[in-house]
Amino acid sequence: MQDRILEIKHLSKSFGSHEVLKDIDFTVNTGDVTSIIGASGSGKSTLLRCVNLLETPTSGEILYHGEDVTKGVNQNSYRAKVGMVFQSFNLFNNMSVLKNCMVGQQKVLKRSADEAEAEALKYLEKVGMKPYINAKPRQISGGQKQRVAIARALAMSPEILLFDEPTSALDPEMVGEVLAVMRSLAEEGMTMLVVTHEMAFARDVSNHVVFMADGVILEQGVPADIFSNPKEQRTREFLARVL
Amino acid sequence: MLAQLISDILDLLGPRYGYGSVYLTGVRNTLILALAATAIGCVIGFICGILRTIPVAKTDGAFKKFIVGLVKAIVRIYVEVFRGTPMILQAVFVYYGLPYFSHQQLQFTGMWSVALVVVSINTGAYMAESVRGGILSIDIGQTEGAKAIGMTHIQTMTSVILPQALRNIIPQIGNNLIINIKDTSVMFIIGFLDFFAVHKMAAGATFKYFPSAVLEMCVYLCMTLLASFLLRVLERKMDGSDSYELVSDDQLVMSAGTYNSPRKGSPFDEKSKEFGGRKLAMPEENTAGGENDAR
Repeated sequence: MQDRILEIKHLSKSFGSHEVLKDIDFTVNTGDVTSIIGASGSGKSTLLRCVNLLETPTSGEILYHGEDVTKGVNQNSYRAKVGMVFQSFNLFNNMSVLKNCMVGQQKVLKRSADEAEAEALKYLEKVGMKPYINAKPRQISGGQKQRVAIARALAMSPEILLFDEPTSALDPEMVGEVLAVMRSLAEEGMTMLVVTHEMAFARDVSNHVVFMADGVILEQGVPADIFSNPKEQRTREFLARVL
Repeated sequence: MLAQLISDILDLLGPRYGYGSVYLTGVRNTLILALAATAIGCVIGFICGILRTIPVAKTDGAFKKFIVGLVKAIVRIYVEVFRGTPMILQAVFVYYGLPYFSHQQLQFTGMWSVALVVVSINTGAYMAESVRGGILSIDIGQTEGAKAIGMTHIQTMTSVILPQALRNIIPQIGNNLIINIKDTSVMFIIGFLDFFAVHKMAAGATFKYFPSAVLEMCVYLCMTLLASFLLRVLERKMDGSDSYELVSDDQLVMSAGTYNSPRKGSPFDEKSKEFGGRKLAMPEENTAGGENDAR
């Protein structure tokens, strides 16, 4: 029996009268790599932002190890355990690469400067960005920024990493370097929840695929079923367009 | 004509009238007042700007909403009143108002304290809006990035947002410093001896209105030019270096990264392809030699 990290139950989110997410249900177990796919505007990113409480769900529950986190009980310590990688990187522009990976450890996890630096260097080396620790975010390329953002999230020792279209803002040639890092994380057993338009990644790396359309989960299952044997008409149409 | 003007100015400063040291005192007072008031005004502005950008979520309790709303309203009134009235009248208001309302019991003891209070409060009112603008100018992604790693609102502000906002409003701080250097001249109304008050004094006694005014113009311009120069130096310092050093434990990787643009292939490739075999075969060959061969 695998350990359930996240359970999303009847999650709904409205912006004004516009209902973006309708009654979303799914579960993330330890070691799962879950890809959320679907057309633009189907609510994928909003779902991920709700999981990290960057958006407040209108109704429903997000159970983290069985405990509902939507009720505002210590959001910050929950967020520290749930890493997030953004489409637009969101590195801190006023800090060097190394400091970007250290500040959260020191301020939130109260680690010492030495410990934080050792952790940061460990993960920066892992993503191949160790030579650039003195650079500022404006001085490195998009793919490099995203790899630093991944190292920053990893340095917080998260239980699960959320990726919000991590390669959508990158040149095609830089997509590969970021996907390679994500692939190696998956192989090491990192639990990941990935919103992506990279169908090859969803098919080959993840072990669970969620297809969304118009704010609802139309279909979910193992990649082999979703990609080669989709049950829903909408899924077939979407896959025909993107593959 | 010009010779006449110069000799008149020298007369004013020199032994004939002997106002040289008074002019210097005026310059000193103006600079101290402008610098101190700008600094205090910035602190007030930062506090007010931060108070005005406190986020209130729909889920927050009624009490918190009320307190935050009240604080924001007070700050707003402060900003509008002190931005919207002339500083010269504010000085009169504070200087004569205090004894008036306290039946002559309370009074400012010196011109310095009145001048400092009025100019600081005035600067603070302008800076509050600049700081608010500076905070709003920082991309929302910076806040989200900080929140996503679990930082509190205060941690996000002090570590991420304010340092960037401060950099963005340095030009505004410079504006305020230059305005203060010039506008502290209205403090003559309460008898503060700033640089302009010296002009009134000296010209009134010697009737050398125009030469004194020429002198004042030149010195004011020098003071403001110096201020803008220093601020530009500060700005450049805050931006930091345009380049950065690659860091690596491995000398070979390090030199490989520096002779070529780091974006072109990773340094690790070069290690394996071009240097790897040779390094094993000839361990005494230094990195410089390897680099030349590679070119």
